[in-house]
This record gives sequence, structure tokens and C-alpha cells, in this order.
Amino acid sequence: MNNPSSIPAIPLLAVERLAVDYGLKGVSLPAIRDVTFELHSGKAVALVGESGSGKTTTAMAIAGLLSPNAVVSGGEVRYRGSRIPIDDDAAMRPHRWRDTSVIFQGAMNALNPVQRVSNQIAEPCRLKLGMSRKAATERAAELLELVGISAERGAAYPHELSGGMRQRVMIAMALACHPSLVIGDEPTTALDVITQAQILKLLAELRSRLNLALILITHDLSVVAESCDRVMIMYAGRIVEDGNVADIFANPMHPYSRLLIESIPDPQQGRRVVRPIPGDPPTLQNRPSGCAFRYRCPSAMAICATDIPRLISTGQGRVACHLYPSTNEEMVSPNV
Amino acid sequence: MIWRIGSVLVRAFVTLLMVAALNFVLFRVIPGDPAAMLLGGARSSATAEQIDAQRERWGLDRPLIPDQVLQYLSATAQGDLGYSFKFRGRRVSDLIIERLPATLLLVGLAQGVAIFCGVTLGLYAGWRRGGAIDHVTTGTSLALYSTPPFWLGMLLVVVFSTMLGWLPGYGSYSPGLVNADLLDWFGDRTGHLALPVLAIALGLIGQYVVVARAAMSDVVTEDYMVTARAKGLTSGQMLRRHAFRNALLPVVTLVTLNLGYVVAGAITVESVFAWPGIGSLTVEALNARDYPVLQGIFLLLGASIVAANLLADVAYGLLDPRVR
Amino acid sequence: MRENVLVELKESQSPQHVRVNAIKSFLAQFLRNNGARLGLLTLAFFVVLAAVPGVLVGPLQTAASATGDFLTAPSREHLLGTDDVGRDVINLVVHGSRISLTIALVSTIISLLVGTTVGLTAGYFGRWVDIWLMRLTDFFFVIPSFVLALVITPVVLQHMGRGGTIIGLRPSLMVIIIVIGLTSWAFVARIVRSQTLSLRERQFVERAKVVGTGNLKIMVSHLLPNLVPQIAANGAIVVAGAIYTETALSFLGLGDPLQPSWGTLLSLAQRAGAASSGAWWYLGAPGLCVLIVSLAFVMIGNALDDTFNPRRRAIP
Repeated sequence: MNNPSSIPAIPLLAVERLAVDYGLKGVSLPAIRDVTFELHSGKAVALVGESGSGKTTTAMAIAGLLSPNAVVSGGEVRYRGSRIPIDDDAAMRPHRWRDTSVIFQGAMNALNPVQRVSNQIAEPCRLKLGMSRKAATERAAELLELVGISAERGAAYPHELSGGMRQRVMIAMALACHPSLVIGDEPTTALDVITQAQILKLLAELRSRLNLALILITHDLSVVAESCDRVMIMYAGRIVEDGNVADIFANPMHPYSRLLIESIPDPQQGRRVVRPIPGDPPTLQNRPSGCAFRYRCPSAMAICATDIPRLISTGQGRVACHLYPSTNEEMVSPNV
Repeated sequence: MIWRIGSVLVRAFVTLLMVAALNFVLFRVIPGDPAAMLLGGARSSATAEQIDAQRERWGLDRPLIPDQVLQYLSATAQGDLGYSFKFRGRRVSDLIIERLPATLLLVGLAQGVAIFCGVTLGLYAGWRRGGAIDHVTTGTSLALYSTPPFWLGMLLVVVFSTMLGWLPGYGSYSPGLVNADLLDWFGDRTGHLALPVLAIALGLIGQYVVVARAAMSDVVTEDYMVTARAKGLTSGQMLRRHAFRNALLPVVTLVTLNLGYVVAGAITVESVFAWPGIGSLTVEALNARDYPVLQGIFLLLGASIVAANLLADVAYGLLDPRVR
Repeated sequence: MRENVLVELKESQSPQHVRVNAIKSFLAQFLRNNGARLGLLTLAFFVVLAAVPGVLVGPLQTAASATGDFLTAPSREHLLGTDDVGRDVINLVVHGSRISLTIALVSTIISLLVGTTVGLTAGYFGRWVDIWLMRLTDFFFVIPSFVLALVITPVVLQHMGRGGTIIGLRPSLMVIIIVIGLTSWAFVARIVRSQTLSLRERQFVERAKVVGTGNLKIMVSHLLPNLVPQIAANGAIVVAGAIYTETALSFLGLGDPLQPSWGTLLSLAQRAGAASSGAWWYLGAPGLCVLIVSLAFVMIGNALDDTFNPRRRAIP
């Protein structure tokens, strides 16, 4: 399992044709469709996309944290080979935090403002692992040290800590029950660049030390470049491209990916100005027929209006675009 | 923290001084000769010399500001609130002290009942939002909140006293009850308390349900509740360990602030039930133009509001670490 | 393929156009709220009653023109029964609506005017102006306004006498209006101030200042329109409070039996011993009206608040 050169037979996480809808005032809106991928222990994948892309929904579905008005309308999620009941709140409870934990944006109200941080870290140890109060407090101190905070700071309240420290607390808390998979929901979005780099470095260290699998949700590609092996780009509820970070940055295949990469200012390549992608991503209510990206796509063709492009394997990963017609390879052997 | 309490105390004291000053100015603006009025009004048998002597003793012939103000303030600080017009010769402070317990009993009980029922019901409704019971509860609470308590009192009297004859609708005890044993005495008192307490409590319950429900509803949507759910906590654990304390913050503030206003609110209810407390004293004094008594009550109420605000500040500081 | 988004922005709408559209969309959203619809409907009903009481039930009955027997229960001739001098209760209540609503609305207007002025001034100028105005506001918050009103009213009346009318209202009612207005503005002032504080930092204020617009013009033309939502939402609550205060004051005898508001009717009912003689119709009707109108305003206020501050998105 810890041998980096061998690939275990069963992936830690397998998502197959996952589809989730949101019910809004009697209307059912499709949030994500046909989401399929695998993730092995110790690997990190970034989920990238604009708002409405479905990245958060996908991650929350995997963690079993869908909101009450969400309905799983297709597909399944498997953890170590067995299906987990992501639509059953009570049945998911034992899995939560022990198999999969979540790092939320600590800068917001993700920590209880009236509780000391060490208590919040110790809480899952006591409630889920049955540790005594004393043992849990010690473990909380250990975890704080692990993320680079001195144990005395555990007595602080969240508002007394800086944004970066709160994020570290969230990370410490996420590791409390020895999870195998950690999902980071925009963990560095509200932080300044320097703190961002520190947090990403911390995550990388912890990942290799504890052999964690990591799903990192972000809309910031520069974060991806530093921290993940692999990136999946989503648009309007579907995966549009999936591959190694190096490949995608060097040679993005999907027009959306290309625009995303090109929109990052890069003085070395002569791009001094931020070039945003023209237009706005579609909301849940008004996704276009066919390929949802066609109104903003520089390479749109006639077929894009009628047929939804399928995710196919290519030499360097997977892509869903009519520019790369499928050759009888319907579904996807997901990249490692 | 100490510094904060200190500054709050100072502010409260200054406010109290301002209330007292206003009190003074207000009643001096009233037309008529204070000395003559204080000595018993037009029908008094006091001679001109006696009036003059009294005027001198109270410093009424000295300039209004600052002498009279200071005199008033120092007298008040010593507990001398003057003498009543209506109840000749009786000190205002005595009258107030005499009537205060009845009001405190009434208001205290009503608040207790309201907090117990209203807050718990509201928190629960906010936790489990939606459904028919929630809508009915919210609607009823809003209606109760908008109902004038004295009117509610009159209705209660009509139904439970006049029509059904179950409970008395007048006074705080039955005058004819002499040599009764403890149980009878207690039963009689409780019976007389029932309707007035209910009249005040129902409106308060409405208010507390609405506020507690809103507070809990807000908390439920907060990010740390998502974190709690993500940690695999059960619904009960989420409620007790995270939601409860945070939802309580605005509720505690409201309840504490209310303590200052309820005495004023009891004025009308005491009038309906002829309850022998501060409220009915106020009405009697009003009708008799008994200004010293009104002045004393005004000061009392102002002081209780200032005290309640102070208490709310301190309580909030204790409960919410962000404020400290 | 779409053009650059920046180009599209140039064909923007004029400020008036934007404002009209904003108002239209707000109204649509507001009217979707059930509470708002119910509240507005109820209010409309009572406004009609208040506007033309004479048309609906004839002139206000007096002891001389009473049409029924004393304290009779509801019957076919008198759907809500009669009072202790034989007057038809419906007649009294309909006329009472005029008085109660007028007092409540006018005093609220006073309260909003004073409160907005104080809050806007304090929030805009800041520093010393703010500190002193807020001290004043806090002071008004703390003094027991009900007792204050209770004490001031008879004193002023003593001065003024009880005769004649001012804009159609008898003096005691005018006094009540002014007293309520002057003792309930602190609530509005605080809210307006905090809104002003947050608006003050926005760009459009900076721009106006740079261009050299006078302070008063900034406050009135730029800040005030943005404050209207908050003022409206809280105004509804203030009206409900004013109704309650007037009813209570009148109940304690400060109203005028010649122009009885609902509160005055309750006071008359109480003095006539309606409660102990079981005349539920006499005391029920005016009180029920107070309850219903208060509730209507509260619901409207809540709906306004919901429309301006939408919470809880269904889709994360």
C-alpha cells in the first residue's frame, strides 16, 4: 500500500456515473452528470471550475454531505470497493470523519465561534473514537503541533486566530480520526499568497507522511500547479478534461482548459495582463443544450449544439469535446 | 474584561443621572406652585407661612439650575423621593416599596413561565423548521406578540371568570378569607395570580418563540453546523454542542432587556385586574395628578431599564467570547 | 461567438431606467410573499373603513343617537351588539378605525422623520456629531417612553385645554400623536445610522464628494434612497408599536370619548364593566381590530425585511 511504484488493485475511491439533482420549488435541476473517476491512496487530484460547475456538489456527494434538497439521480460512489450510501444521512454517519474528512474554508464561520479550538479538534476524538477527555485533549495538542501551531494556542477562540492559523486548525481537526481521504473545499481561497503557499506546503507534507488521498476543490489554477498530481476540470456539471497537472498545463486539450490556462498571467510567456474568459458560466437553470460551453467556445461546431460530448481516453488523460471524436471507446478507464 | 465592565458601569451611572435630571426638569415644568401642591393642593389648610417655610426648606426659592437640580439629586440619592399629594403625608418611597412586591411577583412569574415555554418552543421550532406544526406555532406566536396584553386580560376575565367562574378576575386575594390554613391561602393567592400572569405571559411567549426560532434558524444555516454534520455528529449532538449556545445569544439579550420594560408593561394589566402593584399605583397617581409619586415611579422604571441594559451587556459579554 | 463582454456593457440603461426596474422587481418579489399579500389585503380593508366611515355605517353614534338597548349581545340588528349606552358596536369600531389608524400612521411618520434625520446625520458626519447624537438616542432608548407619554399628555392637555380640533383631530389625540412620535424615534435612528455607516464607505459617495457635491445633497439624493428599504421594513414595525402604545394610552384614559379610538373603546368597555358582565362583543371587537391591524403590519414588515435581505440559498 505504501509502495509508490505498485498500483493497488482496488482504488481508495471510485465514482461511477454520478448524477445529482437539486430540488428547487418543485423543479428538479441537474447539478452534476456522468461524473466518473478513481482515486488511489496518497494521490491528490484538484477539482477545478467556475461557479455552477458542480465541483462542490461532487465533493460533497463523496463526503456524504449533500444538502437535504439534493437527490442522487444516478451512479454510485465506492469506498475501498464497497458502495457507500451517500444519500442516507444516518447511514453515512459512521463513515464521516473516519474514512473521509473535509477541510472547509477556515476563514469563514466553519469553526464554532464560542468554543475553544482545542475542544473542537478533540470533539471527534471523543465522540467518534470514544477517547476520554484527557486523551482527546492530548491528541488535540499533538495535532496542533503537527500542523505547526503550539499547543497553548489551543485554548484560543477562533476569532483570536489569524486566517492562516484557522486554516491550520481546520486541517488538524480533519486529521483527528485518521481518515484516508481528505477533501479540501477551497482551503486557501481567502488567504494571502504567502499564507496560501504555507498551507499548501503543509498539506503536501501531511499527504506524504500520512499517505492521505486528497481532493482539492479550487477555482485557482495556480494552487493546482503547486499541490496536486492530477487535475479534473469541470464545466456545467460535467468533467470536461482530466489529466496530469504537467500535461494539462503544457498542452490543454479542451478549449475551456486552454482558456483557463491562458487566463493566468505569466510574464515569462509574455502574458502580463489577466485575460478573463468572456461571458459567464451558465446557472443551473439555463444550461445550454448539447455542449454547455458552446456559447463561449472559440471552436464551436454545428454538432456542439445537438450532442453532449462524451468523456473519452486520450494519450494524456481524458477529455470531453467534439474536437476529439471518440473511436468506439465509450467510457473511460480513468487515469491514475 | 474588567476594563469593559468598568466602562459599562460608568456609562450606566451617567445615564441614570441623566434620567434623574430629566425627571426633575419634567416635573418642574408642570404648571402650578410646587410648594402649595406638595403641601396638599388647593384644598389644603396650610397657611401661607407654612407654605413659605416649606418652600424655603426644599430650596424652592433658590434658582432652578443648579441649586434645585443638585438638591433633588442629592435627596434622591439618599432615598428621599418626596411626599405624595394624594396620600397625604406618606413618603413616595414608602408607597413604592409597599406596592413593588406585588408587581414583582406578577411580572416575575410571567417572565418565568414565558421563558420556560417560549424559549424552548422557539428553539425547537427553529431546529425543526417546516411542517404544519411549525407554521401554526409561528402564526400563533406572531398573533400573541401583536395582542395587547390588557385586552387579552379582559378576554380571559370574560371567559374564565365571568362565564366559567373558574378563576377570580379581580385583586390579588379574596378579602373575606380570614383564618384560613396555609393550603387555602396558597390556593387563593394562586387563583388570583393565574389570569393576570397568563395575560402577560402569553404575549411574552409569542415574542420569545419568534425570536428564539429566528435565532436558531440563523444558526442552523451557519458554516460550523456543516462542519459539525461533516464530523459525523448526530442531530442531537449538533443541537446540544453547537447550535444551542450560539442560538441563545440573541435570546438572552432579549430576555434580559425585557426585564427592564416589563414593569411598565404591567401597568395596563394591573389596571384590568385591579392588581395592587406599581402599575395601578401609576394609574391612581395619574388620575390624581400626584406628581411626586409619578416622578418616583419614572425614576424607578428608568433605573430598572438602565440596570437591565447593564445586565444584558454583561451577560452577552459572558456568553460571547468575541465581544470580550 | 460572443463579443467581448465589456462592449456589451456600454449599452447600459439610464439611472432612472435602472431604478424603475429595480422597484418593479422588488415589488414582484415582495408580493410573492404570502404574509405580504395577507397583510396588504387586511390593511386595505381597514384603510377603506378608516377613510369613509360615515358612508359605511353613518355618523358616529352618541348616547343621544344610540339605536339599541344597553349591552345587548350580537343580534340581527346589531351584528356586534351594543355598548352600555345602546350604541351599535360596529358603528363605534368603524369610526374608531379612523382614529386609531390616523394616530398610528402620523406618529410613525414623525418618528421616521426624526429618527432618519438623526441617524443619517450621525452616520454621515461621524466623530463628535455621531457621539453626541448617539448619546441622545441611547438616552431616549432608555427612558421609559410609555410612562413618559403617560405623564406628559395630561400636562400638555391641561395647558392647551380640551376644546376644538386640529386638522380634524381633537387636541388630546394630537398630543398623543406627537408624544408617541417623539418617544419612539430612537429605534429608527439606530438602524438608519448603522446603514448609513456602511453606505458611507461606498464608491458612489466618494465620487459625489470628489465632484464637489454638498453634504446635504449627498445625504438626501444619494444616501437616502438607499436607506428607504431599511426604513420601510422597520417602519412597519414602528407602526405596529405605535398602534399598541396609542391603544394602551387611550385605555388608561388619555383618549377622547368624542373621537374614540379602539383603545378608548376598550377603556369605555372596561369602565362599563364589560368584562365582569360578560359583554364579550363590546370589548372583543375593538381589541380584535387592534390585533389584526398590528399583525398585518408585522407581517408586512417581515415580508419587506425578507425581500431586502434574502437569506438561505437553496443551491450551495
